[in-house]
Amino acid sequence: MNCAEFQRDLPLIIDTGGTEEQEDHLRSCEVCRDLVNDLRYIAEQAKLLIPMLEPSPKVWKGIEEKLKDQGLVKPVQVRRTL
Amino acid sequence: MSILLQTEGLRVANRKAAEDIQSSQAATAAVTQLMSEPAGVAKRSLVTKKALATGIPEAEIIERAKEGDGACFEALYSLHKRRVYSLCLRMTGNTAEAEDLTQEAFLQLYRKIATFRGESAFSTWLHRLSVNVVLMHLRKKGLPEVSLEETLEPTEEDGPKKDIGACDQVLAGSIDRVNLERAMESLPPGYRIIFVLHDIEGYEHNEIAEMMGCSIGNSKSQLHKARMKLRDLLRVIRPMRAAGKK
Repeated sequence: MNCAEFQRDLPLIIDTGGTEEQEDHLRSCEVCRDLVNDLRYIAEQAKLLIPMLEPSPKVWKGIEEKLKDQGLVKPVQVRRTL
Repeated sequence: MSILLQTEGLRVANRKAAEDIQSSQAATAAVTQLMSEPAGVAKRSLVTKKALATGIPEAEIIERAKEGDGACFEALYSLHKRRVYSLCLRMTGNTAEAEDLTQEAFLQLYRKIATFRGESAFSTWLHRLSVNVVLMHLRKKGLPEVSLEETLEPTEEDGPKKDIGACDQVLAGSIDRVNLERAMESLPPGYRIIFVLHDIEGYEHNEIAEMMGCSIGNSKSQLHKARMKLRDLLRVIRPMRAAGKK
């Protein structure tokens, strides 16, 4: 198996794993090994991105205004356990 | 085989665990933020603060929001705004658009929350609603989400550079959040959306195909191209940043 043959199946290899022949090529080819490692590393790093980005306060203000404009908002109910 | 194998079960479990952690982090962050707001801002959020600080379960906050309780709706906003905004920003790559879409997502939430039946986690339901808001926006703008003629077969240009001398540029251990976010901003919209939905948000290809109206093979192909493009971008960004530090 050469690099072109290996890389033709790359999406499937990354997704579901490689055949024995593909594993053999991976062990012997530094270029393809680096490529697979990089793609897997990118995917792993992406999973670590947490939703830490904060919208500006104007977003909530805009929501409040639109709810009022559309007559959707009801008076704040201070009740029961609140 | 074991080097490459990535089971779907593990992916799903990881996604659920990540959602639990994110939900917990969001709740903690929301309470912390609300409790430390300046007096002027705090006045508006007084009831919301109480709703969160008294430890009312999210399920009850949702039920009250369904009844039109504005304070509980604001509490839901505080709990979920980061996740929704982050999704919008990463999918569009534009701050102003992301803020508009976050606003639209929560307006839709207000209108539709009565239809939430608890068949999935609230965060999952809201997340799906938000994805649909972004996709609808992109369709209206006429931006290509995915190309219908794409196939799973990579083309020549999708292949890695056969650059043997580049072996010292492997990425392992070198990507930080800022680099990755920056590289994602440079991706073509179609690639970026699939990458965000699959690799960051944890959707499966069949879910993405359903949401975007494309084939599963198309989704896989776009994801592969997105990762390859990111690899190229990260290999450029990293030396640039290193040079900038000198």
